Amino acid sequence: MTEIWNDWLTHHDQLLGGLWVSLRLAFMALLLGLPAGLVLAVGASSRRRVLRGFIVVVIEIGRGTPALVMLQVVYNGIPVTLTGFVCAYIALALTTAAYTSEIIRGGLQSVPGGEIEAGRALGMSSFDVLRDIVIPQGLRIAIPPLMGFCILMFQATSLAFIIAVPELTSQARSIANNTFHYLNLFVIAGVLYAIVTVSASLVTEQVEKKLQRHV
Amino acid sequence: MTTSPALPHDAIVLQNVEKQFGDHVVLNNVSMSVSSGEVVALIGPSGAGKSTLLRCINLLERPTSGSITVEGVTIQVDHSIKAKELAALRSRVGMVFQSFNLFPHLTVLRNISLPQQRVLGRSQAEAEERAMTLLERVGLADKAKQYPGRCSGGQQQRIAIARALALDPKVMLFDEPTSALDPELGLEVLAVMRELADEGMTMVVVTHEMQFARDVSDHVVVMSDGAILEEGKPHEIFASPSQPRTRAFLRAVLDRQ
Repeated sequence: MTEIWNDWLTHHDQLLGGLWVSLRLAFMALLLGLPAGLVLAVGASSRRRVLRGFIVVVIEIGRGTPALVMLQVVYNGIPVTLTGFVCAYIALALTTAAYTSEIIRGGLQSVPGGEIEAGRALGMSSFDVLRDIVIPQGLRIAIPPLMGFCILMFQATSLAFIIAVPELTSQARSIANNTFHYLNLFVIAGVLYAIVTVSASLVTEQVEKKLQRHV
Repeated sequence: MTTSPALPHDAIVLQNVEKQFGDHVVLNNVSMSVSSGEVVALIGPSGAGKSTLLRCINLLERPTSGSITVEGVTIQVDHSIKAKELAALRSRVGMVFQSFNLFPHLTVLRNISLPQQRVLGRSQAEAEERAMTLLERVGLADKAKQYPGRCSGGQQQRIAIARALALDPKVMLFDEPTSALDPELGLEVLAVMRELADEGMTMVVVTHEMQFARDVSDHVVVMSDGAILEEGKPHEIFASPSQPRTRAFLRAVLDRQ
């Protein structure tokens, strides 16, 4: 225990720097991935067969590819030179978009058909019905599982060590490579991840309670 | 879209309307017309096609064949229907559903003002002013800032009526508007509908409220098995129905009431 504390005192700057990279990476991936997930969810519910088929294939490829593979594909596959951080950001955003599209689609589909009919009967266009009735309510229903996914995505940033992004896991590993205190460093990293995810879970619970009103 | 092929006093004309779901014929060559200012009650046993016929009038249900004219806008359903035609038809028709179908995430005021902004392009201030006028009319001005979930079923249905009226429809369709309500709450909805009828609104009402059909409607249409069985003045239909099927139906319904 004392050893762990000593390692923390010695390396906390580097570890907190890693945590900051992890948080930024998760935030950026979600910032791009969630709206893309919404677009895919709407596309996957389209009445146009070809569009719907194309989107479903994209989603299935995205969901079927492990995040670790996605990171490697983006890192090695993009013909222009990008930093590891940007590659990780793109790869995790793609994974986010594919996974969250299914969560959002479930939310959109749970909006009662009667309300959509009422909108149509009032003369609202399909776009208005989607924007004013389906998306606000569908997203509200999807928010709790989406927040759960965001927590998973934060944990998935640890995979970015594979393309040399200096996030938390990568920093812990690099310190341990020099000190050989592998267990200590990964315990500290684990505690840091847990502090973030447990806090986020508590926020999720509160949001869930708030959202139960008016639905 | 053609302009006014129907006689000027015909608010709604349905010609040879057919609707099939797969092999199942729900509406079999139905033709009827409703004069402007007339209140028509559509009655008949469950599964007769009343609601489907009503939903065909504003094309929530697209008939398999036939034509529909509402206040001068004619749609031949065998041809492809343009979004503009559909919008023109729906702008003339308001609809009230059995299950109210208010938008639960919007306040009562917003439920009524938002469609006006989107469909008629009114400003928010204009739309809210109109919404408040209508809420006062249905006796619910004090509910403006609340969410629909906080209102009783009868109140929700009155709000739904106000929402439809806010778009200044020429015709109002009611699909069993009191079926989901306790009898007491149903009365407050029926009172609003009576007022509307007295003001000369053209109305088509699918209902099991025989008293309403008898007292308020100008014309009763009895449907069975996807076709019109008979039609006439309420006192004719209720006092001396010509069809045995109508007699059996009325006896069953009136006995229950």
